[in-house]
Amino acid sequence: MKDINLKINGKSYRLSTNEDMRLIDVLRDELGLLGSKEGCGEGECGACTILMEGRTVNACMVMAFQTDEKEIITIEGLSNGEQLHPIQQAFIEIGAVQCGFCTPGMILSAKAILDKDTNPTREMIRQGISGNLCRCTGYAKIVDAIELAGKLLRNGGNNCEA
Amino acid sequence: MKREIVGKRAIRVDGHSKVLGKAEYPQDIQKQSMYHGKTLRSKKPHAYFKLNIDKAKNLKGVIAILTAKDVPYNHHGVLFKDHEIFCTNKVRRVGDPIAFVVAENEKIAKQAVEFIEIEYDEIPGVFDPIKAMEQSAPIVHKESNILYHYKIRKGNIENAFKQCEVIVENEYRTGMVDHAFLQPESGIAYMDENTVVVCASSQYPHFDQIEIAEALNIPTENVRVINPAIGGAFGGREDITLQIHIALATKLVGKPVKTTYSREESFLAHGKRHSMIMKYKTGANRQGKLVAMEANIIGDTGAYASWAPNVLRKAGVHATGPYEIPNVKVDSYAVYTNNPFAGAMRGFGAAQGPIAYEQQIDEIGRKLSIDPITIRKINGFKVGSETATGQILEASVPYIQCIESVGKALGLEQKEGIR
Repeated sequence: MKDINLKINGKSYRLSTNEDMRLIDVLRDELGLLGSKEGCGEGECGACTILMEGRTVNACMVMAFQTDEKEIITIEGLSNGEQLHPIQQAFIEIGAVQCGFCTPGMILSAKAILDKDTNPTREMIRQGISGNLCRCTGYAKIVDAIELAGKLLRNGGNNCEA
Repeated sequence: MKREIVGKRAIRVDGHSKVLGKAEYPQDIQKQSMYHGKTLRSKKPHAYFKLNIDKAKNLKGVIAILTAKDVPYNHHGVLFKDHEIFCTNKVRRVGDPIAFVVAENEKIAKQAVEFIEIEYDEIPGVFDPIKAMEQSAPIVHKESNILYHYKIRKGNIENAFKQCEVIVENEYRTGMVDHAFLQPESGIAYMDENTVVVCASSQYPHFDQIEIAEALNIPTENVRVINPAIGGAFGGREDITLQIHIALATKLVGKPVKTTYSREESFLAHGKRHSMIMKYKTGANRQGKLVAMEANIIGDTGAYASWAPNVLRKAGVHATGPYEIPNVKVDSYAVYTNNPFAGAMRGFGAAQGPIAYEQQIDEIGRKLSIDPITIRKINGFKVGSETATGQILEASVPYIQCIESVGKALGLEQKEGIR
């Protein structure tokens, strides 16, 4: 058992964790943050992608004790209540969501890309989501959605018609 | 007429919940005081076995262990009831379910599965579908391993080949493929008074209801199947996997029972795309017009039929591709082996064929010095064409336009002077 302090979506938590507990277990089983999905448990699929200290990590590959004093953002931390984040808005608008199981991780990878540069090239986007598998879309619409999200962020809003 | 829907962009109904991470997949469903299940699966492809669950049963935290003895009607399958819910005394593939442990938590369930003693008596298996078709092959089920044979006979193939300027002949093989839908199988079952409620992602919930009711020997009105968000399927969720296991378990123990497969178990649990062995012979005249095609297609359905007859029928119907050929002979077969079982996957038997017939067309073109676009324009379906099965295509046959666009996109018309 080890006690850890961490901040998730702006909220501070103090938790006691078992040594075999992964971050995905903390999020899903301990805190009920079920938006992070487990698709493979070995860092291949990216469905559990979250942001730790601003960088994308697979929550299935990070042990709970490694998150001590870390700041984490999950899909639950993106929207402002029912007000969607521009990336979420763009994903719906473009039709980049099908089965939805990759979507939370994909959106967080998109955030990591756009946090660095709101006007990335398609190549940069593809590079940025290369750790996230999607079996439905063929990726084209996901890349389109991230491009649109960049535009929304540059314009400072969610208005897709502008 | 004013169109309200067609041609308009629509926002999908589940879009919001999915981008917010709020869409509920089976693994996200929690119930008060629920138990966890874990499946024991065969590690041998063809064997008789004996089971001893005593040690596992006595493990602290184990609630129940279900085996074939606990299933009122131990058969399921979409076309033929050739699967057992839990194998009685024989396994036919690696991954066959043998027992299902119900325990207080997942850790104990996993441990208990390791504690089940199983003694295999291996018997010869068959892994090559061509060998499986021979009389002397080990039999996977009863009687022959050939479970389906589809034929097309059109025109006179022998005479037609005699008149051909060029004939090409080759064998093509495709491997089995997994859907790898992103959400591994998961499900939770619970009792609602006399009704067994099964919550699992499925492509076939109404049929799941029938199969669960049959296995438990209860009326269908006492089975409710709830299909929450589905994390991809692509054909891979047409055959039932864990639904009957958790239904049996909750009915036995009276509390909610949940199981979630790892990726590895997901690969073991559901069907695959059929691997196919396709022998083709194709002939054309001097002008490049196809005259005859002969195809022999063998689909390996592994240990269970699943949709094999439908898949191999489709492979046969589409064996000549989008080409007009007056003389055709097609034989397609579905064959049992001890490989992982194959069933529905995107294309459903129509995806393998192009690897064979398109290469045949290319080969014919090469021999006659006709480029790949032109040889397809000469032979491609258009309005009025007759297919190998005798269907006249009356409308909407844009194949030639499509292939012309491909030629343009590839910049071929300048290089090779395509008409």
